Amino acid sequence: MKLNDIDKAILNRIQSDFPIDSNPFGAIADELGYSEEQILEHTLRLRQSGIIRRIGANFVPHKLGFVSTLCAAKVPEDQIDAFAKTVNRFEGVTHNYQRENEFNIWFTFIGKSMKEIEAALNKIKNETGIKTILNLPATKVFKIKAEFKV
Amino acid sequence: MNKDQNLKNSETLTSLEKQVIASIQADIPIVRHPYRHIARQLNIAEEQLLDILRDLVQRGIIRRFGATLKHQKSGYQANVMVAWHVDENRVDEVGNIMASFRRVSHCYHRNPTAQWRYNLYTMVHGKDEKNCRDIAAKMAKKANVDTYAMLFSRRELKKTSMTYFNSADAET
Repeated sequence: MKLNDIDKAILNRIQSDFPIDSNPFGAIADELGYSEEQILEHTLRLRQSGIIRRIGANFVPHKLGFVSTLCAAKVPEDQIDAFAKTVNRFEGVTHNYQRENEFNIWFTFIGKSMKEIEAALNKIKNETGIKTILNLPATKVFKIKAEFKV
Repeated sequence: MNKDQNLKNSETLTSLEKQVIASIQADIPIVRHPYRHIARQLNIAEEQLLDILRDLVQRGIIRRFGATLKHQKSGYQANVMVAWHVDENRVDEVGNIMASFRRVSHCYHRNPTAQWRYNLYTMVHGKDEKNCRDIAAKMAKKANVDTYAMLFSRRELKKTSMTYFNSADAET
């Protein structure tokens, strides 16, 4: 799908500070100088085409009483699919990527406690036979920004 | 940068707040009055929902409220996680330098392990792989760090948003 000016204006406007207002798309329309119908129609199209993955809230896990970590595993090429299937079954695993390194599988894990996550990692090790999984919780955040100008 | 990310203490949440969080952790409907729609499902007034949402933002519990885009379609076709090996005494200095790059979306310190000595992580976004490599080289030069690994992603195996609470949790 090719993005036109109104699509770009919408994408640049709604990645953060989406209006918390009874009529959010109307508020965006007023700001950007389009009609509410146009904004709704284009936003729907962007959502349906998958350019917008979702519109919703992103939380600070710690503030909700959760902990998060980044995990990395060394998995032989022919076992990647099976390993990913086991890992992805856990609801707390939100992102999982195959990456170019001897540690080739990298996933994020959010849980109620580090103990719960460690127990899950042990379960994964036992089930898959993959012995080495690194558990690398963040100790300091310098930047987190998930906005992209289009 | 959101310094609140570094705080470990959690907030006390009411059961209604948990229900509200459960209702906006996925995808809100793209309709004229999305909050009215959600409020109706929660059996509360729209104004009350709006007040709770504003409060969650104000308390820093909601870090960002808005659309999440698919990177591949937003112009920055390529991204790479770069893991840096930084002298622990220089982590704050280097972390701040790395974070100042516009093409860096995330920058975290993580403790090294015996099998993996890297301790600073950045997500770098570029037009293509070469562009990502060039940006990383610039970062290395500016921060004076020469040991790093470029972890290009080869396949997305899962990407979803976290379900912190479901309606059953919210009732407790």
